[in-house]
Amino acid sequence: MNEIKIKSKNLNVYYGEKQALFDVNLDLNEKEVTALIGPSGCGKSTFIRCINRMNDVIDICKVSGNIEIDGVEINDKNLDVVSLRERVGMVFQKPNPFPKSIYDNISYGPKIHGKGETKSELDEIVENSLKKAALWEEVKDRLDEPGTGLSGGQQQRLCIARAISVNPEVILMDEPCSALDPIATAKIEELIDELKKTYTIVIVTHSMAQAVRVSQKTGFFHLGKLIEVGKTEKIFKNPDNKMTQDYITGRFG
Amino acid sequence: MTKEERLKKRHSAEKRFRFYGLASIFVALLFVLILVHNIFSKGSSAFKKTAINVEVFFDQELLEIKNGATEDQILEADFYDITIESLLKVFPAQDLDQENQLIDLFTTDAEIEIKRAFLENNNLIGKKINLEITASDDIDQLHKGNYPRDLPEDRRRISDFQLIIYDNLVENKKIIKNFNNYFFKNGDSRDPELAGIGGALVGSFYSIIICLLLAFPVAVLASIYLEEFAPKNKITDFIEININNLAAVPSIVYGLLALQILLATIQLPRSTPLVAGITLALMTLPRIIIPCRASLKAVPPSIREGALAVGASKFQSVFHHVVPLALPGTLSGTIIGLAQALGETAPLILIGMVAFVVDIPSTPIDPSSSLPVQVYLWSESAERGFVEKTSATIMMLLSFLIVMNFLAVYLRQKFEKRWN
Repeated sequence: MNEIKIKSKNLNVYYGEKQALFDVNLDLNEKEVTALIGPSGCGKSTFIRCINRMNDVIDICKVSGNIEIDGVEINDKNLDVVSLRERVGMVFQKPNPFPKSIYDNISYGPKIHGKGETKSELDEIVENSLKKAALWEEVKDRLDEPGTGLSGGQQQRLCIARAISVNPEVILMDEPCSALDPIATAKIEELIDELKKTYTIVIVTHSMAQAVRVSQKTGFFHLGKLIEVGKTEKIFKNPDNKMTQDYITGRFG
Repeated sequence: MTKEERLKKRHSAEKRFRFYGLASIFVALLFVLILVHNIFSKGSSAFKKTAINVEVFFDQELLEIKNGATEDQILEADFYDITIESLLKVFPAQDLDQENQLIDLFTTDAEIEIKRAFLENNNLIGKKINLEITASDDIDQLHKGNYPRDLPEDRRRISDFQLIIYDNLVENKKIIKNFNNYFFKNGDSRDPELAGIGGALVGSFYSIIICLLLAFPVAVLASIYLEEFAPKNKITDFIEININNLAAVPSIVYGLLALQILLATIQLPRSTPLVAGITLALMTLPRIIIPCRASLKAVPPSIREGALAVGASKFQSVFHHVVPLALPGTLSGTIIGLAQALGETAPLILIGMVAFVVDIPSTPIDPSSSLPVQVYLWSESAERGFVEKTSATIMMLLSFLIVMNFLAVYLRQKFEKRWN
């Protein structure tokens, strides 16, 4: 068992009057893939958006409780979210490359964090990030073409490369394959398998099969509560909770 | 009702709707056509002016200057005598009254035109040259066919004797039409043949530049702050409602505001493009903020999230990603706002731009006119010459507006980034 990287304690999230998460206690292990499953609106996305404080963007969203990364509290008002997001990257449901060149998409992050001082350093970061995202071979001859001109699956891998470019420790993936076809999905899943050697990955998914394929640990959310968490094998073969059993067998959700 | 009947009904409803739509477009186009035809038929003749070919003799005795005289000497010299002498030679006049009628065929600036010819070439002493002297407004209009000749003499602006001269000149091909450079070069004048939109053009140009310099940065920064940074609460809601209200405030109210604050309180010079520019900026500000905010809003939130997720600060995500994407919409909104400001008349009348200004302003704090106000001023004048000038000025104004609107559309289409 790997060491615990992220630890949430009694995490509550409110959107205005409505409570979206109820006392979530969830530990995520380092260099492992954790899948979060559950029916729509159950709070999976809300949970991972707490890990890089993306919920700050939403005015009415209030977060209480604790999330620690490497033992450091990140819900601290004094914490610099920019450096947090440098450590915790994110890939969204819909591929959202910047309407700029492929090169600029990747080099933007390192540039604003002062990671690539010279052109050759930046070139190297771009190349490495694209290689890690298994996109290099497909785009190496057209780095100056717009990122929005790529296919959906390529765009999503571009977004993964963009997240990797700032060398984070954690990558959050919010249903990264829901807008992709099966072939592109297979590529991304392969990629996730490869990436977990370097990064701690949290993936929200609606596909049970995907959770089984890519994750080592699975958490099941329902109506804002973490119902059950454990090794993926155990959750899918022999869950403790009746509700988990019903969900994974397709009786609701 | 059977299925066939329902289908038929549905189809005929669709057909009716199409017909109404087409009819509306046709009616709208018809109105535009009437307007454009009216303006063109009245105004196009203003771009030509009538001139009379006159032989001018530069008599040294009358002029009292020599060949190669300096500019100052020429400007000081009296060209009145040779002017009268040359003009009288055009047609034999019997008495003083006929002489006056003959001289009235020419513009009051005939002397200046002759002097100008001499300024261009100061070796003309003792020589005879043919000059095209601008005709008076009456001859101009007669020649353009705007005055009927078959009225009794006492109801005509042109006497029988003048008609005889005119016919004689036409017969001898002494009457010509040339390009009306006065219309573009000159300021306003009481004489229609000399009046031009030069002053109004410069005044409008200064006003719009000042309006742009003031309104654009303020509007863009205000919209970026309101759209991206301001907390969403009652105060920002209130501000938003008021911006929308301000955009709908009649422009004359801004004129009153400028009259009270800029002229009465701050005592800025009246009738100037500076005050006009500030007033138009106040008026244009909300009209730029609205499209500006709309184009910021149109940038998909996923772009902001993408930037934030790689660790860009709020400021960086806005200025590196959102603003560049919103820029085409912002620019075209600004241009359309400025086009509206360019055509605005009412507030300028209140701040005194309606004054009769002959000189072309050289700085934004000189008294000046502007294109729409010039239209207003001339449309009130009785002379037939001003009617065509009014329409011609409208043509100029409309062409500026069309160019600006095309520019706005072009900018938006050329630079707008598309995303899926």
